[in-house]
Amino acid sequence: MHAIQKNAASCPPPSSRRRASTYTLRLRALIVTLGVGLAFAAVAAQLVRLSLRGEGAIAVTVSEPVAQSFARPDIVDRNGRLLATDVEMPSLFADPALVLDRDEVAEKLLAVFPDLDTQELARALSDRSRRFVWIRRGLPPKIAQQVHDLGLPGLAFRSELRRAYPAGRLAGHVLGQVNIDNKGVAGIERHIDEAIGVEAVHGATLSGAAPVRLALDMGVEHGLEEELAGAMRRFEARGAAGLIMDVATGEVLAAASLPGVDPSRAGEALDESRLDKVAGGTFELGSIWKAVTIAMALEGGKTTLDTIVDVTAPLAAGRFTITDLHPPGRPLTVAEVFLHSSNVGAGYLALGAGAERLRAFLAKLGLTEPMRTELGPVAAPQLPERLERAEQITIAYGHGIAVAPVQFAAAAAALINGGELVRPTFLKRQPDTTVERVRVVSGETSAKINELLRRNVTDPAGTGRRAEVAGYRVGGKTGTAEIPGRGGYRKTAVISSFLAAFPMDAPKYLVLVSLFEPKGTNESRGETRAGTNAAPTAARVIERIAPLLGVLPGGSVAAAGE
Amino acid sequence: MRALTILSVVVAIASAFLLYGVSYDTHRIEARVHAQERAAEKARSDIAVLKAERAHLARPERIEPLARALGLAPVTEKQLGRAGFGLATGSASH
Repeated sequence: MHAIQKNAASCPPPSSRRRASTYTLRLRALIVTLGVGLAFAAVAAQLVRLSLRGEGAIAVTVSEPVAQSFARPDIVDRNGRLLATDVEMPSLFADPALVLDRDEVAEKLLAVFPDLDTQELARALSDRSRRFVWIRRGLPPKIAQQVHDLGLPGLAFRSELRRAYPAGRLAGHVLGQVNIDNKGVAGIERHIDEAIGVEAVHGATLSGAAPVRLALDMGVEHGLEEELAGAMRRFEARGAAGLIMDVATGEVLAAASLPGVDPSRAGEALDESRLDKVAGGTFELGSIWKAVTIAMALEGGKTTLDTIVDVTAPLAAGRFTITDLHPPGRPLTVAEVFLHSSNVGAGYLALGAGAERLRAFLAKLGLTEPMRTELGPVAAPQLPERLERAEQITIAYGHGIAVAPVQFAAAAAALINGGELVRPTFLKRQPDTTVERVRVVSGETSAKINELLRRNVTDPAGTGRRAEVAGYRVGGKTGTAEIPGRGGYRKTAVISSFLAAFPMDAPKYLVLVSLFEPKGTNESRGETRAGTNAAPTAARVIERIAPLLGVLPGGSVAAAGE
Repeated sequence: MRALTILSVVVAIASAFLLYGVSYDTHRIEARVHAQERAAEKARSDIAVLKAERAHLARPERIEPLARALGLAPVTEKQLGRAGFGLATGSASH
């Protein structure tokens, strides 16, 4: 207003003055309109930005102190019983800027957490530039209440998801572990992160994802673990491994490696003696390999179960001469080589096939290449670069070649199930999915192997006599392997294994039991051979699990209860 | 002209009251929704804890000694043999 008056006064001609003033007025109005318009446009743009990007800018400022965590789906067994779940738990943190007396905080917290590192805490709290210091994560509600009752300023709780394993140590190796942020780092837990998916969350939002269903049966797993633990006590073994597999689908119904691990204690898995012996280590498994050797011989076409092998002829391999524990002193048939577990006989059969066919057959059974399961890569098979005469002979009875038990079990399942190789899986197969099968041996060969396995248990001369369980038609093969040590094999330290299948009229389940360094105890009449320890252990396992799996004594396989 | 102005003022004031009321209601309803969402969240969390606790109580390691103390044991072949026989006669009579 003031400007207009001044302007009007300074301009003498009235007509041009009026024109000039209208012009200026219009110009000013335009400027004001534009200005206001711009302001509104800015507001609108900000609105659009906010509505499109949410509160992104705000989240960034607080994301530093708020640790990101992961919401995981539950893990259940094949019948839906809970093995792992997320629960909300309070985690204690401190805001150093609000803490009044560092020493008081450290002192009082020490009463609740006797193992607290007070120096470390005092150092963390002295850094006033930090606004967030974790003190303890995943507290039980009772402990959280105790801390709350201390009434210390600067301490606060945040709800976080923690993984809980209600079944304790059961199937610890299969389940694996999660880290402090609830991210899977081993076993099925890692598989869930990699292949199934977890949700990144702030705070404690439970996952809405469907549970992950394992092939494992909790009852079968418990039975296996109990019996293996019992065998470790009776035979004073250092460790034990066991695997139960559905031979048709490759589903692992139970897998145990003792000493076991507690999935909620991360440190235990690092202990070397607690290594997963089922998939995480390779072992020379001994004479249970003779099933593979004889299957190869039978596949050749010229050999039958009645072919005579002259095991009285000495078998030299380099500096060594291979002998049998109890030389029969007469030529044996192929069937007898299996029943007497003759190393010499198996050696001759492997030599008969030759290096090329031996390697090809092992490759066909998947025993030469590294295998993968949902638990991650299986320990890679170890076999000699070149299969010379000595290697061919030793591989025939399971020495000089080391594979993980789960990999051997997969190959053995193919020999038992009619001749088709199936990839082992720790996840339950959906009934409508087709299982990928590769034919590796003929049905005829598989039937003969099954006949041998059964005879090895029923025959009075068989090595697997003590694996018999009345009614369940068990078949199996023993294997006692000396453990290689410094400068040769150690005679006294063995891995004794039993490869079993049942019911043998229509084999459905494979059981592989291995005892590590068993001692000759009263229970095994002072012996360490697999027939005296692993075979009876397999019998106890089968006696216990067969009813759970719906196998009826003397009859056919009933539908397993869901 | 004046009447129109007064009317519009009245309408403006009325609509202000109305809007204020609606906004107030919205806030109240929102607070209720939040409270119920929190309750649902709490219930979900409680369910998860209870599920874990139930599974913990039902773990085989704990059930086995309890069952054995009651005189129960894994099924033996003899028991199943009889059951199988009973089943066979049952189906034969059909």
